[in-house]
Amino acid sequence: MSSRGSLMFVLHAHLPYVNHPQHSSFLEENWFFEAVVETYVPIISALERLAAEGIRPGIAISISPTLGAMLENEELENKLQLYIESRLELIEKELVRAQDEPALLKAVKFYQKLYEDAAGLMHKYSGDLITPLKALQHAGQIEIITTSATHAVLPLLTRPEAVRAQLAVAAEDYTDRFNRKPSGFWLPECAYEPRLNSYLKLSGFNYTFTESHSVEFASSFAPNGVYAPYRTTNGVGLFARDAASSREVWSAKFGYPGDPAYREFYRDLGYDGDLEYLRPYLGVDGARRPLGLKYYRITGEGTDLSAKQYYDPEAAMLRVEAHASDFLARRMKQTEDFHLARGTRPLIVSCYDAELFGHWWFEGPAFLETVIRKIRQERLPLQFVTPSEYLNSCQEPQELTPGISSWGENGYFDPWVNETNDYIYPAVYAATDKMIETANRFRNQDLPSLSARALNQAARETLLAQSSDWAFLLYIGSHAEYAKGRLEDHAANAIKLLGEVIEKKVDEHALAALEQKNSVFPRLDFRVFASISKF
Amino acid sequence: MPELSRPLPAEDRLVLLPKNPGVFFIFWQLSSGRAEAFRSGAFAPEIELRLSCVDDNAIVSPIKAPWPAGRCYAAVPAQGRTYQVSLYAFRNGAWEKLMESNQAAAPAAAGMAEDRAYASLEFHKKVLS
Repeated sequence: MSSRGSLMFVLHAHLPYVNHPQHSSFLEENWFFEAVVETYVPIISALERLAAEGIRPGIAISISPTLGAMLENEELENKLQLYIESRLELIEKELVRAQDEPALLKAVKFYQKLYEDAAGLMHKYSGDLITPLKALQHAGQIEIITTSATHAVLPLLTRPEAVRAQLAVAAEDYTDRFNRKPSGFWLPECAYEPRLNSYLKLSGFNYTFTESHSVEFASSFAPNGVYAPYRTTNGVGLFARDAASSREVWSAKFGYPGDPAYREFYRDLGYDGDLEYLRPYLGVDGARRPLGLKYYRITGEGTDLSAKQYYDPEAAMLRVEAHASDFLARRMKQTEDFHLARGTRPLIVSCYDAELFGHWWFEGPAFLETVIRKIRQERLPLQFVTPSEYLNSCQEPQELTPGISSWGENGYFDPWVNETNDYIYPAVYAATDKMIETANRFRNQDLPSLSARALNQAARETLLAQSSDWAFLLYIGSHAEYAKGRLEDHAANAIKLLGEVIEKKVDEHALAALEQKNSVFPRLDFRVFASISKF
Repeated sequence: MPELSRPLPAEDRLVLLPKNPGVFFIFWQLSSGRAEAFRSGAFAPEIELRLSCVDDNAIVSPIKAPWPAGRCYAAVPAQGRTYQVSLYAFRNGAWEKLMESNQAAAPAAAGMAEDRAYASLEFHKKVLS
């Protein structure tokens, strides 16, 4: 059957750069380990299965440069291996504990398979999950795009040099990692303003994505709404996110993840189990923390955590089937309605944080796989398409300047600028301004190696200070002290290093420690922060 | 109000950031010389932040703030237009312009649909808590 419309799935995978090589165990590094086990491995496995069956997934995945660096960091890989081994050891004990409780035993065995699968895939690729992603892209199964170097909310960086550095470093990082130039750019937090068009073009990006209301409040009328791509005045392609398909997946209230059969996120063995029994698997402080073993299902809206029932993986998979069918039926209805009204085939752009699939919505990877498989098996008149494919095959998109927007709460910049986090901006700007000023000063000088290293490390620290994650963590009050400390450390490190270079007093020992700890962007040249007019 | 734990270099800086279609965020820092002028009483303790529309040079009512506050929020006079803020200090019976900010565009928008699922917030609230 010929296609009545196209679906574009974009998964944005990002974690802040968290690497503490001086600690054998560090709480915030668990974000990475949990995401690998619950999200990245299941998604990669699903994509590989589909490809092996001859079903081309045709989705786009954005891998943030910081996540890419963590996926390639050998020390983190070693810690991840220990993390998985530790969980498997605990699961062995849990199998004994659960032997007289069949419902619990079923859930424990399910986790055993999850962690064994993670161990298996990590072993298969020698701990480097970039390898299978690269292979999938090389085989034309998926398209990989990038985002700004450290996930800075770009409209909140007022200095052109800072925006340009975030994009240029991301483009170089992508080229190094994936052996080709990037085509697509995911705007962190979908945060757009027209000023970004020229920087996107300058860094060689062909297209980007904006939130749906950026089209509603565009400079001119967009007759096809979010159902067609556009292009900026300087020729950068634009895809607008479809709100309806996002809501069905994202919303815990209206969407699929709140189904009673699905895994309950908040009830975790780390809080339920006997403290002495669990102690070997907790952090060095011995405090209770999530261990990723969550044996219960949502059970019902408003059900008290203590009243949750055991998770039944088979029952959950039946709901995945139903939800995938419902999702596709809704997309069919969308495409039919649009076709009736406009006489053309629409494009539905569904963008999600990748970590939603698996980590938060445990069944998400299975949902994704089922949706893709159903289109083929049921011969539905829909097709998955990647952004580059679509732009290469569609008619010349209409020119449009979208409105300023983001996908954050209320649609603009409130989550990153409010009374819980606004005090950080003087530090971000102090580091950024000093970095630009110093880059301009030394850009054309032959520098001693130590000074060049210090300037390059200052550039890394400046980029890390600009990350959106610190403001966001402060806003939601989660790991707030860590976020504040990280931001202040990066800003202070940058300012100190720049001062040392100017005073010709670089502390090599301290510099080496920073180079080891904050080791992103190994080829970074501080001149990326220099003002363009002075070239 | 939360603050940074460590002092920053004393430099002149005035920045205007968009928060949403109705609100700008403004922050300022002062060089040691200017801070000393405020401390010594050479400048009056209250500053004025004057927001002007870059598109038509219209100036809206100034916002008054104590000089050490370092930050404040300002109502956006008209959505969809570009603004700049200037920081003034009062000395010898006259207002003196000390700094000008970057230009910042205010988003243009009407009300947002309430049932839209804004992805990042929902995820991070659940996952990182």
